[in-house]
Amino acid sequence: MALKLLRDIFAVAGNESRQFWRNRTAILISLVILPLFFTVSLGAAGGGATTRFSPTANIPIAFIDNDLSTDSSRLLQTLRSSGDFNNLLLGYREDSALAVLGTGKIYAAIVVPEGFHNHLANNQTSKIILYADDGEPGVGDQISATLRTVVQDFNPRVEVQPERRGLSQIEIVQKGALFSSFNIGLVVVLGVVQIFATFYEIAGGMAREREDGTLARLLVSPTGLVPIMLGKTLFDSVLATIRTFIVLGLSVYMFGARPSTDLATLVIVSLIVALLTMGFGFVVSALRVGARAVVIVEFFLVLFLFAFSGLVIDKELLRGLSKAISNILPWAYGFEILRRTVLIGRPLLTLASDLQIILAATVIFYVVSYAIFALSRERLAF
Amino acid sequence: MAENTITTKGLTKVFGHFTAVDTLNLDVKGGELFGLLGPNGAGKTTTVRMLCTLIDPTRGTANVAGYDIREQAAEVRRNIGVVSEGVSLYKDLTIEENLRLFSTLYDLPRTKAEARIRELMEMFGFREKSKRLVSALSSGWQKKAMICAALLHEPKVLFLDEVTSGLDPQSAIALQDFTRKLCDEGETVIWTTHYMGEPEKICDRVGVVFAGRLVKVGSPNELKHSVSELSTVEVETPGLSATQVEKIRKLGKVCKISYNDPLLRVTCEHHEDLAEEVTKALMGAGARIRAVNTKEPTLEEAFISLTGGEEEIDRFLESSARRK
Repeated sequence: MALKLLRDIFAVAGNESRQFWRNRTAILISLVILPLFFTVSLGAAGGGATTRFSPTANIPIAFIDNDLSTDSSRLLQTLRSSGDFNNLLLGYREDSALAVLGTGKIYAAIVVPEGFHNHLANNQTSKIILYADDGEPGVGDQISATLRTVVQDFNPRVEVQPERRGLSQIEIVQKGALFSSFNIGLVVVLGVVQIFATFYEIAGGMAREREDGTLARLLVSPTGLVPIMLGKTLFDSVLATIRTFIVLGLSVYMFGARPSTDLATLVIVSLIVALLTMGFGFVVSALRVGARAVVIVEFFLVLFLFAFSGLVIDKELLRGLSKAISNILPWAYGFEILRRTVLIGRPLLTLASDLQIILAATVIFYVVSYAIFALSRERLAF
Repeated sequence: MAENTITTKGLTKVFGHFTAVDTLNLDVKGGELFGLLGPNGAGKTTTVRMLCTLIDPTRGTANVAGYDIREQAAEVRRNIGVVSEGVSLYKDLTIEENLRLFSTLYDLPRTKAEARIRELMEMFGFREKSKRLVSALSSGWQKKAMICAALLHEPKVLFLDEVTSGLDPQSAIALQDFTRKLCDEGETVIWTTHYMGEPEKICDRVGVVFAGRLVKVGSPNELKHSVSELSTVEVETPGLSATQVEKIRKLGKVCKISYNDPLLRVTCEHHEDLAEEVTKALMGAGARIRAVNTKEPTLEEAFISLTGGEEEIDRFLESSARRK
């Protein structure tokens, strides 16, 4: 029984493979155009490795100078010229800044305390205080990390003393320091390319098979739904892995990406995102979406994910309904895993909660599509 | 007497408010070439899809090759072959590659599969075409390739659903002959079609399907004569006199006679020797005979009569088109 299942899975996967390698258009789109288009366009737009890309640059942050000294003015100039803090808001007092922190008006407050200049003048360590909004955990640490880097350039004897507002139970993702290469581009490109390609390969492939009658041919043979779904998944996983290598190669050699994680982790994480999308592709296919309509669904899916999954706009920066949508989108957790591994080199196993969510969502997608197909085989066949 | 290979009891399929197949009771014997004849939308394909386990019946039971289609679907699939509009081959693969894929799915041992593939390629005359992509073949060869795939695992029952539609007449005739040969060798075949001429030529028995119901089952001859027991002989005989016509009228069993120079039309109850008797009588009366034609009721006439007439069929086809 198990042997038959394995044989059928490999037979279906082999069949997918033979068809794919014979279809020049499919090869061109899946392995050349999609990876190249997204990597090059994003790389060109961001200037690749030569231009700094800072996610903190436009975040509104209050700058409160309680020292009013030449050193505090110089610090302000250094922060502004760093390119990491272009939206520093002056005019706040410490208490008024803390009052609006958490309302979305400002995300942090940098306070230069009295005596800042004197400490430095006496060769002592001087502190600046950073109040970050704990309602936006990722942002807080991002600002903190970036601030530390910039301040170190200003004067190594200056310390950043983070002060939390509210209870912080949520894990903080540090992002700032590593954003200066194409790493963020690599995260976005890997996510988008895998979603674009795998969704179309599964949902489009199933729709075409249904329209061509080959799915019905498989279904009148003794093979079951499971080998069909798993065989297609197996082959698409191989393709997804090849795509990861292509995107990685382009990102590293053309735009100087330096991922903070090892190759195996990168491949696994990319595959996890691809598998989730394949599961969703099967669900869409179970709803009998035609081959042409799949393209429209894909367009809206990618648009939706661009807006709500934290792929482009940080999940932590979303508010209200957007935030709620983001929380239920399993892809958002996939991108979060991609970010944490690629940008700060977090070991995969330390991201258990995100992994559990995305794996559970993948299993749910597969089970739901299987259930719909099994309940009504004509749905699958015709 | 051969055992039933297919048995259905009250088989019904309802899609929403539309009953595609209504209480189908059918027995098909082993080695029989059974035709399901009906217009598009009559329920033929839905019946085949249910018997192939592609769709579940709403009510009723069916047994195919000794297995229940609901309870033993996997066994049913092992014992059937299907060629249908909706069951096709991978166009980007060669015929051999398609057959190899299906030989794995049907658990054929590799050596046996290779031998069977060679046998089928030979039987259907594929030879050098076996390395061609299916998409590069003509529709006739594609149909043959589909039949190869359906016969690969030596099924007990073969379903051929509208296989000749879209085929050129030569390929259609070749396919009919091949199917007849298969049945003569013991294969059970269900042949669905809306072409009236096909079952008359090749089927052992025909089931007339209309609006989801099996209206009548019988051999093509039985069906034809179930609606009309009359035979007609048309004789082209110029210049016949009234006396000569009267002589023919006096022949036994003649129901109707008409003469419109030069055509004499004689109708009587089904009588195989009618043409001979009329010819003899005319020659005896000194008439000149140019041609003699015997006109039997056709399956098409039988179909029209069994399904309530042409207007009823038109109404059905219109409603069927609206549903689509």
